[in-house]
Amino acid sequence: MLMMRSPSSKTSPLMPEVVSTLEVWGAEVDVLYPDEMLTCLGNLIPEHDLYVLKSGSEIALSVAGALDAAGATILNPHRVAAACRDKVIATRVLAAAGVPVPETYVTGHAGELAGLIDEGPLVVKPYRGTNGQGVHVVWDADQLDDLASSGGLLFAQRYHKPEGRDRKIYVIGGQVFGVKRVWPARSYEEKLGEPFTITDEVREIALRCGEAFGIEMYGLDIILSDGCPYVVDISSFPGFKGVPQAALRLADYIYAVAQRVLDGEPAVEALRADGKTPAEEATR
Amino acid sequence: MRAVVIGAGRIGCGLATEALERGGYEVTIVARDPAIVAHLNLHLQFRVRLVEGSRSDERAVEVRRALRSTDIPAVAEAIAQADVVAVSVGVESLGAIAHLIAAGLKERTAAPLNVIAYENAADACERLRDAVLRHLPDEFPLDRHGFSSAVIERAVSRRVGALNDARPVCFVGDPSDAVHVDGRGLRAPLPGIPGMVFADDLSATFERKLFVFSAGHATTAYLGYLKGYRYIHAAIRDPEIREAVLEAMREGQRGLESIHGEGTGGGEDRLGVILRRFENAALNDPVTRVGRDPGRKLGAHERLIGAATLAERGGVRTAVLPLAAAAALCFAAGDPSGASPLAVDLARSGPGGALREFAALDPDGGLCQRVTDAFRRFGLTWRDDSPLLRLTEETAETPSGEAPA
Repeated sequence: MLMMRSPSSKTSPLMPEVVSTLEVWGAEVDVLYPDEMLTCLGNLIPEHDLYVLKSGSEIALSVAGALDAAGATILNPHRVAAACRDKVIATRVLAAAGVPVPETYVTGHAGELAGLIDEGPLVVKPYRGTNGQGVHVVWDADQLDDLASSGGLLFAQRYHKPEGRDRKIYVIGGQVFGVKRVWPARSYEEKLGEPFTITDEVREIALRCGEAFGIEMYGLDIILSDGCPYVVDISSFPGFKGVPQAALRLADYIYAVAQRVLDGEPAVEALRADGKTPAEEATR
Repeated sequence: MRAVVIGAGRIGCGLATEALERGGYEVTIVARDPAIVAHLNLHLQFRVRLVEGSRSDERAVEVRRALRSTDIPAVAEAIAQADVVAVSVGVESLGAIAHLIAAGLKERTAAPLNVIAYENAADACERLRDAVLRHLPDEFPLDRHGFSSAVIERAVSRRVGALNDARPVCFVGDPSDAVHVDGRGLRAPLPGIPGMVFADDLSATFERKLFVFSAGHATTAYLGYLKGYRYIHAAIRDPEIREAVLEAMREGQRGLESIHGEGTGGGEDRLGVILRRFENAALNDPVTRVGRDPGRKLGAHERLIGAATLAERGGVRTAVLPLAAAAALCFAAGDPSGASPLAVDLARSGPGGALREFAALDPDGGLCQRVTDAFRRFGLTWRDDSPLLRLTEETAETPSGEAPA
């Protein structure tokens, strides 16, 4: 498990439960914290049947990429995780797959967005951001001057007024779960939210996102606006908060993937026959 | 001592041959598939791995040779010289191998032969015996020879390795080797096979296995499927499923005791032992394997409806067994091919019609109503890519994508 240690205030029991469940089932699990380790790239060879890439940190992604180059099997595949981490790539992959996403723009100059605001407000967010940090709704061109670009890049999406609470969609092994959550969630209980039964339309959109990237485990942020769903973010390994028995379901899925690897089959069933994912094509 | 095992599947190799070889028999295996015959003749062994928790014992099981079932003279000769024949080909295929046993018996001049059907079906030996009789002349003294069904406790979940591998294939199962046979149906000298238990009333043993262990196993598989789990060992860790499985087995036990008397169900301790077997991850048993063939498993005398019907006959009201039966209908409905007879009937006649056809249930009866009500309730929210969140209460879908508050 390639993990990142959470601050004590954010500790979730999810991954410890996943690890202990896999161990009860006879798997040998090593938990690695790439951010805290000294990794010698010259000696880096895959020592495990399967690596689970939980952490989205820059170091973890890079180490996963190095392991991938050395022939390791990684869940989710490194290139998919990297693509999901980059909202520019992720949004393009989703849009190309016919997933409804807000109109999305990228620029290095805030002034370029001014003309767009005439047609309505924009949501500007860090293109590699997480957890809603650094998200601004820009209603007026005057606000553009205050925007700090992330790495010289401004990622902007058309603002659609959301109806009701945030909707998190989680997919584990191709099975779709919905959780409603207040934003911002202030307590762990609020983060757990409330499971809800999703519509056929949202389910179909959720599964199409997985097909676009060739993965079976991920999380989506979806907003409903005027009755229309828009996917505004995808995560290759979210916290799955609020999914009933999330740790058990994840362990069940990871165990099945490990079994496929041991049987010499592709780790992810949704991979194309040539082993490439649409996201990998997009990131070439 | 020599034995012939007909059927080179999980039970044929992973239990029957393994126990016979351990008991000192030289085993000839008869199989339909030329690939497994070639594999066994190349290696003259396969491996068996018995696993429980973190314990795992693996050993080589030697075989004398393997024969194709089409090689009737060679198979007949092997049976004529055998001390015991074990059959594990599936109940529906017993008729297809009966001519081999008949051919062997016609050549046989030695002591009586005992034939044991490792099929976990109470009527397997009658079906096999009747089928063998059809291949024998009228005057043939078949009563000289013994026939018995068998109630098997070992679960053999899979075969590891390919038949074209350089290494012998391996069968993975749990350590239990108890095989209950009908002592009255066999003839002296009785076979000395490790784990063999001679029962006076095999039908009672069979009923207890079917209505308690198998009912619990099927409940785990079908409810696990509805809740989106892949493996039996995962499904049984879901608290809601675990409680339902325990209650389904208790309903089965109460039904047995209401008809056959106190203690015939096996007690609460037995349930703990069974749960630990379901938890055995090393078996790697997928819910889809345990749940397959729901049309047969919903039969009137089978693990769910049979157990529930017996219980109701004894005045025991059932709640979880009907729930599991409804989940079995969902399992059939979720078959992507939609081609199984049960799925076709379900689509054409609805749950009531399908239960009348497959489980011989009266559509107006209380049991049928409970199954159909649960099936319709599951259908409000369950889809194969959208698991059931809770067994007991459902959230209704709304056009906005939100559940009601």
